[in-house]
Amino acid sequence: MSGDIRFYGAFKDELGLKTIPSRRIAKDTYEIFIGPQHPGSGHMRIIIKVDGDVIVEAEPDIGYVHRTMEKLGEIRGWIKPIPLFERMAIHDACNITLPYVRAVEKLMGVEAPERAKYLRVLLCEINRIAAHLYGFAIFGIFLGHSTMYMWAMGDREVWIELAQELTGARLTHSYPVPGGVRRDIHDEYPDMVRRAIRYMRKRLEDYRKLFLDNPVIKSRLEGVGVISKKQVVELGIVGPNARGSGVAYDVRLADPYEVYDQLDFEIPVFEEGDALARTYVRVEEIKQSMNILEQVVDWLEKHKGEPIIHESVSSKYGPVHKKVLQEQRRAKLLPLHATMKVPAGRAIGRGETARGEVIYYVESDGGLNPYRVRIVTPSARNAIAFKYALPGHKVMDLPAIYGSLDYFPPESDR
Amino acid sequence: MAPKPAVKTLPRRGSLIDGVKGNLQALIVGLKYFLDPKRFTLVYPKEYSKLPKGYRGFIILNKQKCISCAACARICPSAAMKMIRIPVKDPKTGKTRMKQYPVINYQRCIFCGYCVDVCPTEALYHVPYHDVVYENLSEMFWDLETFQKEPEYKTAKEGSPVKFLIHEEYGLIKVPAEEGG
Repeated sequence: MSGDIRFYGAFKDELGLKTIPSRRIAKDTYEIFIGPQHPGSGHMRIIIKVDGDVIVEAEPDIGYVHRTMEKLGEIRGWIKPIPLFERMAIHDACNITLPYVRAVEKLMGVEAPERAKYLRVLLCEINRIAAHLYGFAIFGIFLGHSTMYMWAMGDREVWIELAQELTGARLTHSYPVPGGVRRDIHDEYPDMVRRAIRYMRKRLEDYRKLFLDNPVIKSRLEGVGVISKKQVVELGIVGPNARGSGVAYDVRLADPYEVYDQLDFEIPVFEEGDALARTYVRVEEIKQSMNILEQVVDWLEKHKGEPIIHESVSSKYGPVHKKVLQEQRRAKLLPLHATMKVPAGRAIGRGETARGEVIYYVESDGGLNPYRVRIVTPSARNAIAFKYALPGHKVMDLPAIYGSLDYFPPESDR
Repeated sequence: MAPKPAVKTLPRRGSLIDGVKGNLQALIVGLKYFLDPKRFTLVYPKEYSKLPKGYRGFIILNKQKCISCAACARICPSAAMKMIRIPVKDPKTGKTRMKQYPVINYQRCIFCGYCVDVCPTEALYHVPYHDVVYENLSEMFWDLETFQKEPEYKTAKEGSPVKFLIHEEYGLIKVPAEEGG
């Protein structure tokens, strides 16, 4: 392996992860820069080396949308980073901020009331469906299947409408706050969710016929970009990409947060590890998310009028605050939230976003600002998959693999 | 009642017949939607979507209710809201004294609505629209006078309001809504 001769997947031997048969190749490989602008999900470059039409080496080049989230999180107090961290995965806003809120809650020693937990799960699952549909749309356009792009983007609108009805904003919800949530649902909301679920179930059947069972799509995805179970474990890949390779790892399963341990749902796992398996994981997850939503709205209907914000906040409510909470179903914040101090300590918040596990490490020195907020996002952990999934495939397969990994650069670069 | 992993198997590519069947299936779905496209277009300037009451649009100040606590300016994540000091005549004593009021810079505002939620007297409120156009950026710095009146919603004057409903069969449908901003 020294000198001028390279092998396919020669770099894999360092980890002992040999999946592609080694073959001697000539040294005159072409280097192609794919990105940072491409019709995909944001700014990210993949530097590939090709021998003829076959990718020999791939190097994901990240960092084009780095916005210093971690450092900015240290200068804005405790509640202001919530709208900031949403900007990492804007269409997955509740999922990506909830672990931060939970970490702060752990430091403060408060726990959100039961109804607030259900409301958080409600928005999390709406976000998850919307994010998967967004991923589908991008995947469709990557494969040149513009119908899928239009359909998925259009159906995502239904879920965005639901989120808007709940929170007042289409994407940047800023919904969970330490101690609870900001708004409650109105009486017609459960029926809206049920209608959306019934609609989406019908649409998924159409998706299956048009996209998933389509022989053209199938032949482009089957056996493409295989990541073995061992590779997934060694590289630390998370989320649907790990579950598509047979690793049954999901934070909702491993460390249930909020009310996920009281809900009845499945974590779909596929053994194959190819692009088709990863696609199917997402479809199954949409179905499971809809099952969760049904249970959640049933619960919310049965338990009307329960508190949505922790006692430590609601006990300080004045008459105006109480009136707003009753009439407009809005839990107001207190002026003390602006200059909140959190007891010194360290906390970790974990959560399962649409793309995998997100981890927040929050450290407080008892002051007005967090001392440190470390964020590990799922896409940051999945970026390495490009290096190992691409070699051995033709350049034509790159969009299929990129799309199936559902990589989202703003989330990865933070 | 707990999440559980479920290992599933992928439908594999089958024989030629399966391929033909799959292609036909996809074509039939395509044809179905060609004949009955379940879609609509919002003809924007002529129609506009009337957003629900809780929508987080532009933020307006009700000066009479303001108690100058500055909580809104302190909680603003993007530092869009600032307090200014203006002389106010006290009706009882007749003396002028300085009082603080918030002003907003809509170049910076991210419409998170924290200021509205934190206001202890509900002096700030959202209007349910956000598509207001300014000719230059300096107009987006609102002084105290501008901050007190709702911005002119020109779209409502030119177009007719519609609202979106979630429908089982069509996903979203648009229905005419009542007039008014």
